[in-house]
Amino acid sequence: MENQKFYYDNKIVKLFILATLVWGVVGILVGVIAALQLAFPIFNFGLEYTTFGRLRPVHTNAIIFAFVGNAIFAGVYYSMQKLLKTRMFSDALSKFHFWGWQTIIVLAAVTLLAGFTTGKEYAELEWPIDILITLVWVAFGWNMIGTIIVRRVQHIYAAIWWYLATFLGVAILHVVNSFELPISLFKSYSIYAGAQDAVVQWWYGHNAVAFFLTTPFLGLMYYYLPKAANRPIYSYKLSIIHFWSLIFLYMWAGPHHLLYQALPEWAQALGVTFSIMLIAPSWGGMINGLLTLRGAWDRVRDSAALKFLVVGVTAYGMSTFEGPMMSLKTVNQITHFTDWTIAHVHIGGMGWNGGIIFGMLYWLVPKLFKSKLFSEKLANIHFWISTLAILVYAIPLYWAAVTQWLMWREYTPEGFLAYPNFLETLTQIVPMYAVRVVAGVLFLAGFLIMVFNLAKTMAAGSFVNNEASEAPALVPAGSRNPVRETIHRWLERKAVRFSILTFIALSIGGAVEIIPMIFIKSNVPTLDSVTPYTPLELEGRDLYVKEGCYVCHSQMVRPFRWETDRYGEYSKIGEFVYDHPYQWGSRRTGPDLARAGVVGGPMYKNAAWHYNHFMDPQKMNEASIMPNYAWLAVKNIDLSQTPKKIRAMQKLGVPYEEGYDKKAVDDLLAQAQGISDDLKASGIEIDPKKQMVAMIAYMHKLGRDISTGTEVPADTIQTASTEFKEVQLLNNPEDLAAGKQLFQNTCVACHGADGKGIATFPNLTDEEWIHGNTPGAVFHQISEGNVAKGMVPYKTMFTEKQITQLTSYVLITLQDENSK
Amino acid sequence: MKIVSEVLTSIEGIRIFYIIGLLIFVALFIVIFIRTMRMKNSDMEEIKNSILMDGESEEVTTSN
Repeated sequence: MENQKFYYDNKIVKLFILATLVWGVVGILVGVIAALQLAFPIFNFGLEYTTFGRLRPVHTNAIIFAFVGNAIFAGVYYSMQKLLKTRMFSDALSKFHFWGWQTIIVLAAVTLLAGFTTGKEYAELEWPIDILITLVWVAFGWNMIGTIIVRRVQHIYAAIWWYLATFLGVAILHVVNSFELPISLFKSYSIYAGAQDAVVQWWYGHNAVAFFLTTPFLGLMYYYLPKAANRPIYSYKLSIIHFWSLIFLYMWAGPHHLLYQALPEWAQALGVTFSIMLIAPSWGGMINGLLTLRGAWDRVRDSAALKFLVVGVTAYGMSTFEGPMMSLKTVNQITHFTDWTIAHVHIGGMGWNGGIIFGMLYWLVPKLFKSKLFSEKLANIHFWISTLAILVYAIPLYWAAVTQWLMWREYTPEGFLAYPNFLETLTQIVPMYAVRVVAGVLFLAGFLIMVFNLAKTMAAGSFVNNEASEAPALVPAGSRNPVRETIHRWLERKAVRFSILTFIALSIGGAVEIIPMIFIKSNVPTLDSVTPYTPLELEGRDLYVKEGCYVCHSQMVRPFRWETDRYGEYSKIGEFVYDHPYQWGSRRTGPDLARAGVVGGPMYKNAAWHYNHFMDPQKMNEASIMPNYAWLAVKNIDLSQTPKKIRAMQKLGVPYEEGYDKKAVDDLLAQAQGISDDLKASGIEIDPKKQMVAMIAYMHKLGRDISTGTEVPADTIQTASTEFKEVQLLNNPEDLAAGKQLFQNTCVACHGADGKGIATFPNLTDEEWIHGNTPGAVFHQISEGNVAKGMVPYKTMFTEKQITQLTSYVLITLQDENSK
Repeated sequence: MKIVSEVLTSIEGIRIFYIIGLLIFVALFIVIFIRTMRMKNSDMEEIKNSILMDGESEEVTTSN
């Protein structure tokens, strides 16, 4: 048959490659800054736009959607044209896809830094950008399917199955998870609440990993690894089995992100079961990749591209074994809320995604520019630097995770938490965070070497936008001959049928999890005592979301003694029915806040404490790594939005009374005035309309509705007891040193390192004692606390001997130091 | 979705849906596995080598 002439569109591939390089530098650089912030909080720069809470989503979005996204598109556009022997279906769609995607990235960076966020991890972008993503994604899919239809080859090669699954999977996930009710251009509420929102979000979150960070990369592996090694894939049969198994099983595994949390047991069990099953198809892919190099490992020695591809596939194998292990409930209690998860995703991100992208670029750029790689030596340096960076990144974080988990659950022989102050467990691992910065810098340095190497390669080569080629036209093969053609082989030339079957395989897992969660009412037992947020609390919650507090603080107390002793009553599913969106978090860089509003509970702090803490956390405790939020005391609540928010909540089913939106602002101001008066009594003057007041109101709402027994009226002022226990001060150096240690770990947050008090909190070194300064009175004060003022009864955390040591330190050492 | 809420009125017994789902998956998996493994190796070689036969690759080294 006569050959047809056509031209490959290389320009679109080049554009996506350049975008990959630019956004890669940006994404990694932002990651390094975020890592610096956790080790040295001064790198938050004291600006609202550069706090860790806002920068971290910029890092994750820049890496996942900008760097990795552009690399996927570069790889897909090149390999699809070559595999299907045709130009992309539409140049206009290609251009719209490229420029639309770059616009989304810029909008994402700007809006996230400005605090416009939905508060759902990896889906933080607000609704107008969500719509733009949908349009651009449809253009990508349209272009892809169009290209498949106009192809010049009979069968669709395995790589393209994965690209199709990527398109369909992301489309389903993005649409279902992005259902939200807008109240303005920059603010919306998720239509799902609490546990339902959590299930949908982690069905999305887990499968964003699957269908954005895994399936397209398996497609790239199936094309670029054989091409770079010049060997066919090891087993085509294995590719069929692992494709269908993997795309079917992945969609079920999302709830493994919510183990031991306020979720029905059946959903947790499903997540665990399917996560374990996922090992098989995942390793099928890894084995297929590695065995492709069977008998050709000598080529790996000489090619940096192959080295990266091998590290990528190996990291994939490691991550996809580690992931299911982390889904086992006993392992999950260590890995969840600690840095283990962070290490895990970076093995996947830096190793698997990075490895495949770098390998692909080192092979593809010389090919596109008809040149040799500028320097194989520099590429090898990049390889060793980035491989070292992965190890330097992951090992300290695994160490940090285990260390912190062990400290969280450590008890003294007397049955108290050994480290009741969360900050102690964080201070211990901050050195690991410093090491992580080194890893980030190494990875960035390697990346810059690659950019230089590829730029020189491009400069030395010659590039044609439209590369001429020719191939025979596709002749329709007709109906299936059962003797000569297997069903799958037939399916491989029937793109539409193949896509429909893929869609069905993808949909089942999500449907069986989400539909029962939403439609079976008994899944979410309601609690009569749980009331909707007041307008002021709702404004405070929106600020909590806006500042990205969920990035460091969870709101989910798991049913472990070491969590309930530290935070209070474990979380129940019915507590969250008015939470649009849920804010359970996934990492505790700071303590859990689910019980921050339980007066008398271990997490309660009064308004003055919160004010001072938001203004300057390091003044409260110099070891704190939390950024300050001083602008909350300067900026006003936008009262014009409050009625809209109430109406939106009513539409979502929150039971505010009819017409409540009209009096919401009055109620807000009345509640705010109460908090402002409370602060004034502590010597802090603040306008009730300031955002700080709303944030404090929200803090005091958390857990308050379900607190039982321990509730003490906030305005209770404790009076000194007239009868104190006889206490003998301990003046030997060991006891005073132990007392000092307790003071430094616990009391400094309010009384300062020198005991002279912070802001409105009492000076312990002068002669003015509200409740007396006899040993018995001070012992009593420490032992019983002052819950209304946020001082917890330390008899629940310390032994009598420890309280005596602390009393002795206060009355002997601090008083002595002051008198000198 | 009314039909769903009417069929699934209670969480009681929900496990049966997942057991049935798992059984369907296992059965399908076995069928696909057997049929795939019975495909001719010679056909497979042809498919595998097809991406390297694009006139751009060096001399192809097969896996056998």
